[in-house]
Amino acid sequence: MPEYTPFEMIAYTGSRVLEDEKIVFVGTGLPIIASMHAQLTHAPGLSMIFESGPLSPILEMGMPLSVGDTRACRKACFLKGLSAVFELTQRGYSDYAFIGGAQIDMYGNVCSTFEGGTYNTPQTRFPGSGGAGAMAANCEKSIIIMALEKRRFTEKVEFLTSIGFGDGSADYREKAGVTGAGPYRVITNQALFGFDKKTRRMVLLEVLPGKKAKDIQDMVSFDLLISPDLKEMAEPTAEDLRLLREVCDPEGYFLNRKVK
Amino acid sequence: MNRKVSSKIKKVSNLKYDRKMAEEPFEWWGPSPDEARRTMSNKAKGMRDKCMPLKEAVGRYVRDGINIGIGGFVNTRVPVAIVHEIIRHGARNLTLSFQSNSICAELLAGAMILDPERVSIRRVELAWWGYEVIGIAPLLRYLTSNGMIRLDDYTNYGMSARFKAAAMGIPFVPTRDHGGSDMELVNRGQMVECPFTDKNVYLVPACHPDLGIVHVTAADIYGNSRIFGAHCTCPEISMAAAHTIVTTERIIPNENIRTYPNLTEIPYATVDALVEQPYGAYPGASYGFYWFDMDHIKMFRGICDEFRKTGKKDGLKKYYDEYIFGCETFDDFLSKVGYKKLRQLRDMDGGQPIILS
Repeated sequence: MPEYTPFEMIAYTGSRVLEDEKIVFVGTGLPIIASMHAQLTHAPGLSMIFESGPLSPILEMGMPLSVGDTRACRKACFLKGLSAVFELTQRGYSDYAFIGGAQIDMYGNVCSTFEGGTYNTPQTRFPGSGGAGAMAANCEKSIIIMALEKRRFTEKVEFLTSIGFGDGSADYREKAGVTGAGPYRVITNQALFGFDKKTRRMVLLEVLPGKKAKDIQDMVSFDLLISPDLKEMAEPTAEDLRLLREVCDPEGYFLNRKVK
Repeated sequence: MNRKVSSKIKKVSNLKYDRKMAEEPFEWWGPSPDEARRTMSNKAKGMRDKCMPLKEAVGRYVRDGINIGIGGFVNTRVPVAIVHEIIRHGARNLTLSFQSNSICAELLAGAMILDPERVSIRRVELAWWGYEVIGIAPLLRYLTSNGMIRLDDYTNYGMSARFKAAAMGIPFVPTRDHGGSDMELVNRGQMVECPFTDKNVYLVPACHPDLGIVHVTAADIYGNSRIFGAHCTCPEISMAAAHTIVTTERIIPNENIRTYPNLTEIPYATVDALVEQPYGAYPGASYGFYWFDMDHIKMFRGICDEFRKTGKKDGLKKYYDEYIFGCETFDDFLSKVGYKKLRQLRDMDGGQPIILS
């Protein structure tokens, strides 16, 4: 197997999770790279939607450095503004929300607002919801990229920015007035998680080859459910890595970052 | 619609917040819908030449205590030229409203840190404040951790829908987000039971800025504006605001506007002052003209982060003295940036197609 970095593994896994013939609402960075890779491999009919306004662009000028990058508009089929793309999403046109965050709990609720202190005087204020809260509410399924660390996979998030299954009750999302079905996958470089249909709790689905369920549980603050059918994560081939490194992110803006 | 309900959000997270603040009676943070309506009905709506120097436009519409709605999105078509002029002019006790912004919000925050007697921000209604790939916003972090500004958090759709409601002349709009998140507990929206479905739906209040500031691709002298690339929420902000200042890359003939009226995204009646300002979004990007200047943004962000970490204002002061107070106009600033850099950014745009004819 060729060598790969943690971010390449996340991007590759993100690509694997996306199905063909769907629309994915992408956040900045790895979600864009994963979606580009999916389009180049198993999902040529996958379209991207970006919150600044474009639907189904052809990213021939290279990877947009942010969801507001003018390059994300290149050869789009439909190009308006934020209202239009979020209204399409509310109406049911966006199959996947592809977001990140600072903390996640066992029900897939995500924090990207602050850490420490109070809402009014936070120790560490993050940028805020941006599109993520709306995407997690109204795309059909949410895919969340997280760093696998105990302090991030937490019992309770400090601010619930992007809705998951809330307190885990069956009608939580209905009472919240949101339209999407909720969290679908959580991607890290060492494990892939899903959610149990009955309890809506996070389930370990796949582990990095060589890792055991216990290794993953040790990096998570809450009790994980373990899939009875626990699998090893597929690894990127040399061709996958070539696409990621030479086509998707040739400057290495996101794939060459150092793991903190 | 008066039955107050809520989702089951309570106790899902560890949120600590000032409940008193969250339970304050609702207050408009800018003109109320009625006040915004009155401003509009009292305006002369003739097709008149609205071109004026930026200094005059800002002098006419910027006052202490107003709500400024900032156009663009993160680094795209951000009204930087107008923000520079507002900083030179001075404006205290501001409320800012935007969905996602980077340098405009940070520039105003930096001016506040240097001299709160000149510029100060009291509160911000927003979805996101940061630099995306370049990093977090150091001055947002500084102002919030020191309790110097009050925030009101929505999603990007929430803020867009709030401007849109205002642009539609309605006092609120139902959305299918915010509910079930902690934004439901802390922001000024309200969960209600829908009278038609009997289900919960989240209402966000209209957002009418006193002043909308927007940068567009092209406009005629009356203010009819075209926007190429992402519209962001610029048409909504222009229509929502009591007054709007527009900077434009190019002025085009009214005849062109009338040939393709479908291309007009902002109608003349919503524009109070128009300024032809090439590179008016620099160091942000303007589709069809220039890409964003990552080096300049990194440099400014680095200076802000240095201040956040050390508390030393020297670097910040030097930046403002050089690039804002040391310039009479935005063209003076662009001269300091230099032709070579501007040309490079034009090339990096890659000639995105726009229609000026």
